[in-house]
Amino acid sequence: MIKVLKPGLQTTVQDNGRNGYYALGMPPSGAMDKFSFLAANLLVGNDENAAVLEATYLGPELEFQTDAVIAIAGGEFPPKVNGQCVPLWTTLAIREGDVLSFDFVKQGARVYIAVAGGIEVPVKMGSRSTYTLCGIGGFEGRALQKGDVLAIGERTGPSPVEGTAVPVYLRMKFSKSNEIRVVMGLCSYRLTEEARRKFLSIDWTVTPDANRVGYRFKGEPLDFVPRKQPFGAGSDPSNVTDLGYPIGSIQVPSGIEPIALLHDAVTGGGYVTIATIISTDLNKMGQIKSNETVRFVEVTLDEAIEARKELNAKLDEIKQIIS
Amino acid sequence: MSEQAVISEVPGVFYRKPSPDEPVYVEEGQKVKAGETIGLIEVMKNFYEVTAPADGTVKAFKAEEGDVVDAGQEIAVIE
Amino acid sequence: MAEQKTSSTRYELGGDEFIFVELSESMNLEAMFKGMAITNGLAEEKLDGIMDICPGNASYMIRLNPEVIHPQEVIEKLKKLEASTTDYENIAIESRVIDVPVLFEDPWTHEALMRFRKNHQDPDSTDLEYCARINGFDSKQDLIRSIVDYPFLVSMVGFVPGLPFTFQLTSQEKQIEVPKYVTPRTFTPERAFGFGGAFAVIYPVQGAGGYQLFGTAAAPILDVQQQLPDFKESMVFPRQGDILRYRDVDRDEYDSIRQEVEAGTFRYKTEELSFTPGEVMSDPQAFAEKVMRRLYHD
Repeated sequence: MIKVLKPGLQTTVQDNGRNGYYALGMPPSGAMDKFSFLAANLLVGNDENAAVLEATYLGPELEFQTDAVIAIAGGEFPPKVNGQCVPLWTTLAIREGDVLSFDFVKQGARVYIAVAGGIEVPVKMGSRSTYTLCGIGGFEGRALQKGDVLAIGERTGPSPVEGTAVPVYLRMKFSKSNEIRVVMGLCSYRLTEEARRKFLSIDWTVTPDANRVGYRFKGEPLDFVPRKQPFGAGSDPSNVTDLGYPIGSIQVPSGIEPIALLHDAVTGGGYVTIATIISTDLNKMGQIKSNETVRFVEVTLDEAIEARKELNAKLDEIKQIIS
Repeated sequence: MSEQAVISEVPGVFYRKPSPDEPVYVEEGQKVKAGETIGLIEVMKNFYEVTAPADGTVKAFKAEEGDVVDAGQEIAVIE
Repeated sequence: MAEQKTSSTRYELGGDEFIFVELSESMNLEAMFKGMAITNGLAEEKLDGIMDICPGNASYMIRLNPEVIHPQEVIEKLKKLEASTTDYENIAIESRVIDVPVLFEDPWTHEALMRFRKNHQDPDSTDLEYCARINGFDSKQDLIRSIVDYPFLVSMVGFVPGLPFTFQLTSQEKQIEVPKYVTPRTFTPERAFGFGGAFAVIYPVQGAGGYQLFGTAAAPILDVQQQLPDFKESMVFPRQGDILRYRDVDRDEYDSIRQEVEAGTFRYKTEELSFTPGEVMSDPQAFAEKVMRRLYHD
């Protein structure tokens, strides 16, 4: 068992996500940075879909009431066991009574804490991920609170030896200014040529309105091609007849402050969507903090698929090193 | 008297007032108790309280109303 | 090779995992029924790598795993499906007709809409009064009557889990159309009955929203704990293709339904109905009468 001494700012149980229920209006949830999530699970010998803890901006303080094997990966939140610094991206042995805590975040936005055996919470619609809006999944459908006690699942295999690490060149890298690759499309026909150019050329600043639902950006207004609004859409030029929103899609309500929809997002609505963040770059997006900047870079579908292959090759390399 | 820094635990936007039309939580030179709220950090659509780490007097604020602060940044000094 | 018939349909990529297909920019019954036929056709093919098929209002969306099936391949398949979906007017839809009790002008949405008056086009009237006026009704009662007179078809489920977008099965000139709030509200009560664009919705959970608020549904459409009998198989009740008849109830009936919900005994009055899109589009009035008979007399 793991006792929550301090919950952090928003710490939730997440796995690979609740996939297959999009048509019911259920977003997938799941780890925002799947790369770090997966690396943490690999470092403790878990199944790739085992549930972990995802902490945002402020790490939790956890008391282990049993011996355990853990790994911490993702943003640079310097971890400590009983006050002593321990390394990130590394297999760690924990003794009963040890307390895991974190120093202030240095880089990145989210850190993943994997425990051999996984965090044991009930599976809801195929997943252990927390979706707080409806109180589904995770630990009682909500972020952790002080005093919660988490169960650890059965181990499915041996863990790598203590000290096994993901080499530095394979770890997530962070920056205060970021390039995020997008495929233009969806209703981008609504943008004027100038707005499209502007969207792809300016630095967008992440506002404090940035969480698992989505990130809102500040920049410059984007104009739409004038039209008589079609029946059923609504009167604002940014309104469309309500439609589905992909994960990673970028919408522009009223032409100001674009919003990138992420893993706990609404699945549809009536705002024009203009582009979609490619799946590999959602990991990076999930590690960007308020007030950092993003530049959206257009890529083709083939380039997006190539990026998936590169990411999978990187994960395969990690698997080779660990096993 | 020893000085103690008040550190922001989270990154976000710093405010000294509970809301724009209200007075500040504490003025410089005012006495505070350990655990007393001296400001807020806006983060992820929520507000996170910044509290005094010890009893003492607020000597100075190191961040202004509306400043963007990093986690670990010094916000005030208590003496 | 024969050239494929050109259509105005837009096939768009949503990154590497999504395909978005816009059949029409405006809402209409043809686009909705055609989308239903195409998405049903795709579901029947049971292709590996298709993760989600999400019918929309005048569009639809597919989520896929590009490691299993290439998005371009799926787009080609969808174009062929569209080209072969010529007879959708005559394809029978196996549907449910459902009686949905609504308390119009209830105290909870009234409190919410008054709180957000400055977000609204017309701060001096209520949402119902404003929408009645801009749709040319003499009174808000006339607007309510026009909502309850003709049934609505669930054209899309989404936004949040279980929220049904419903489009009225009536002729185009009788369709109600209202704008969304100028600035969205940060609060909408649970089970609020709203109207935006050409769609009536029920908000499953409390949260943000931009639709005009007319009332509150007595029974839930999302039951996360799955305690009510209608929710045993799924926590979400409405399905795309369902026909909802919104029925105005008074406060006494509303309260008694609430008691049944609290006691865990409430069940929606539901009947099976097979119909064709052609039947609806050629004579909406006759179809509405058929729905009412099926629901309340047969």
